[in-house]
Amino acid sequence: MTLETTVPRVPADDDDRQVLTELATDLLARHCDREHLRARLDLGQAHDPALWRRLSEAGLVSALVPPEHGGAGLSTSSVSGLLHVLGRHATPEPFLETAVVGVEVLSAFPDSAVATTWLPRIAAGEALVGVRLGPLTPYVVHGADVDLLLDLTPDGTVRAFTADDLDVTPVQSLDELRPLASIEPRGDGELLGVAPEVVDRARTVAVAGAACLLAGASRALLDQTVDYVTVRHQFGRPVGSFQAVKHAAADLAVMVDMATSAALAAIDSLDRSDPDDARRRAWSAKAYAGDAADRANVAALQLHGGIGFTWEYHLHLWLKRVMGLAASYGTTATLRRDLARELLARTREAAAR
Amino acid sequence: MSAEQHDDVEAFRAEVRAWLAEHVPATPLPAWTEREGFDQHRAWEATLFDGGYAAVDWPSEYGGRDAGLRRSIAFAEEYYRAGAPERINMGGLYLLGPVLMQYGTPEQCARWIPDLLACRTIWCQGFSEPESGSDLASLRTRADLDGDHFVVNGQKIWTSMGGFADWIFALVRTDPEAGRRRKHDGITFLCIDLRSPGVEVRPLTMVDGTRGFAEVFFTDVRVPVDQVVGGVGQGWKVAMSTLGFERGAVFGDHAKFSADVEALAGLVHARELDDDARALDELGRVLVQTEVYRANVYRLAALAESGGNLDATASINKVFWTQMQHDVFATGLRLMEEDGAVVGDPAALPGAPAATQRSWADWHHRYWYARAAMIFGGTNEIQRNIISERVLGLPMEPRPA
Repeated sequence: MTLETTVPRVPADDDDRQVLTELATDLLARHCDREHLRARLDLGQAHDPALWRRLSEAGLVSALVPPEHGGAGLSTSSVSGLLHVLGRHATPEPFLETAVVGVEVLSAFPDSAVATTWLPRIAAGEALVGVRLGPLTPYVVHGADVDLLLDLTPDGTVRAFTADDLDVTPVQSLDELRPLASIEPRGDGELLGVAPEVVDRARTVAVAGAACLLAGASRALLDQTVDYVTVRHQFGRPVGSFQAVKHAAADLAVMVDMATSAALAAIDSLDRSDPDDARRRAWSAKAYAGDAADRANVAALQLHGGIGFTWEYHLHLWLKRVMGLAASYGTTATLRRDLARELLARTREAAAR
Repeated sequence: MSAEQHDDVEAFRAEVRAWLAEHVPATPLPAWTEREGFDQHRAWEATLFDGGYAAVDWPSEYGGRDAGLRRSIAFAEEYYRAGAPERINMGGLYLLGPVLMQYGTPEQCARWIPDLLACRTIWCQGFSEPESGSDLASLRTRADLDGDHFVVNGQKIWTSMGGFADWIFALVRTDPEAGRRRKHDGITFLCIDLRSPGVEVRPLTMVDGTRGFAEVFFTDVRVPVDQVVGGVGQGWKVAMSTLGFERGAVFGDHAKFSADVEALAGLVHARELDDDARALDELGRVLVQTEVYRANVYRLAALAESGGNLDATASINKVFWTQMQHDVFATGLRLMEEDGAVVGDPAALPGAPAATQRSWADWHHRYWYARAAMIFGGTNEIQRNIISERVLGLPMEPRPA
């Protein structure tokens, strides 16, 4: 077993980022529209093997997988726009967990049997990965669908379990298109290594990635709301021409725009900043994205009025997506407190000098 | 940014840091809202100018350093990190300066820019009037042509630093007839020497008792026509090109807000609230905002470098930073609890480091400034109108017939 974790990282090329974003935008517009979400909801099965195959065939799932295992070997910072688009479409797939965090973690142990077995499968679109990152993740996203669970504990231990070794108990998820499960692994699985820096980095990647998904989903709520208040008329004019409505939309636009800035920058910084700065950026981005999502959730439904409250109308799919994501990978309150504690520790150090 | 650019920025940063370490006054200057403090701030601006740092981002043909965005951001980061004095000439440098570079004649640039850059001339902005605030285009200060002079009559108000300024750049109505057809027409951007006969500057005392702004009265003030910038009747267009600055196009001010949050952490620690859940929530909230703002500054810089249009982001940026700034200072007052009702008393922070004492001494003043920022440069309500109509594309409010 190797503890080789110093994978050389090259900052993402803007072109790579652009290509991935455009591929996802085009693919999801065609294959992950509202009808798709509605169909998956009616089926009671969020994950769609056909959609996953398309994501895989487009080279999105394998983007970060090293070339020797069948991927493009792009740097992690190239997926910022891609994740934002996935969030915008409320895509009901464990992309962040499988293709980003999962690939990151496995790639940190390149010579392990687990990595050489599973990275090619992931790259080929044949495996879904679940991740547990200690207290941040009591539930596993798409837990009932995963083929491999990566269990990372705060002491730095990284273990892998195949589906056969997992006791999976699905829970009633608020967002049925992002199903969660409690998982109890049986036995010790496969020990990949003890590497605190890998665990730390995986948490940072997951938190930054969740911020991107959340900012994207909040953006979708803003867009849908702007569209709705433009066509909905009362008192003989669009409700979106009333200042009370306009200012609520403007306040939301400010938060969504800033959340997007911070989330994209947090992903971009993964290959540029030192781990402490990258963590601070990720924590801040997710904390703020959670705040923006709360506002998006409240404002979108309020400005839609009654129609937004129906099961039939699509708004609730995004309302629940932002609520679910806001509650995952660290809530705004816990991330804020972490950041405040860290700043105060630095303040005490400075005072002691 | 390439590795080469990165090295270049870091070399510039090191140069700036070394210069600031040598020149920044060891003890903070007195507030600029009183004459003594103002004069000391003015002397500091002269020091900056002599060092070549008055406006690093300005083009070299006007005396700047052609620093570009990345080095300008690095300069600002170092400036605030060093705790250097508040800049008193930003209005001149970033409101009037760019206007002159874009619209001024070569003679006007040669006449005004060098003194502006060296802070030998302090300029103030004469836009708002008592009856024309948010509805700026309804302004009524008149300038009537009389030979080769305009004769100016009217009143400007909320003029920042008006009590200390030498010149004012004002919006005046030169064609009331055109203005009756369309109120944005017939307005002219005019530079006026405040020492001209007929000008009266009355300092206004602000809500915290300091004298940071003024009202300016014009009675038959004769102004040569060659002091018009950008053409008679073109004032609205010229003025709008300056507002991006007030709305937050100044890259690098994130470092100021980060320093403010560090000062807030100093207050929390001095009050022994390090483990207090409420204090952690409050500090964490504003810390997150400043980190988000930092990310946005760099995004806008990248956007600007790639030739993108920042107009759409200016209003979003202004609403965000002004609310963030208010949150920082309001949070400090809340966490100081009963002592928040006492202005800057060091006894509220026994044993705290001098830097923390100093930030508390200035806290209420900064708090009130934060309140002003949500009003000046176009109120945040006006910004929300702009965001909803020009960024989101929502319908215009029906105008009164």
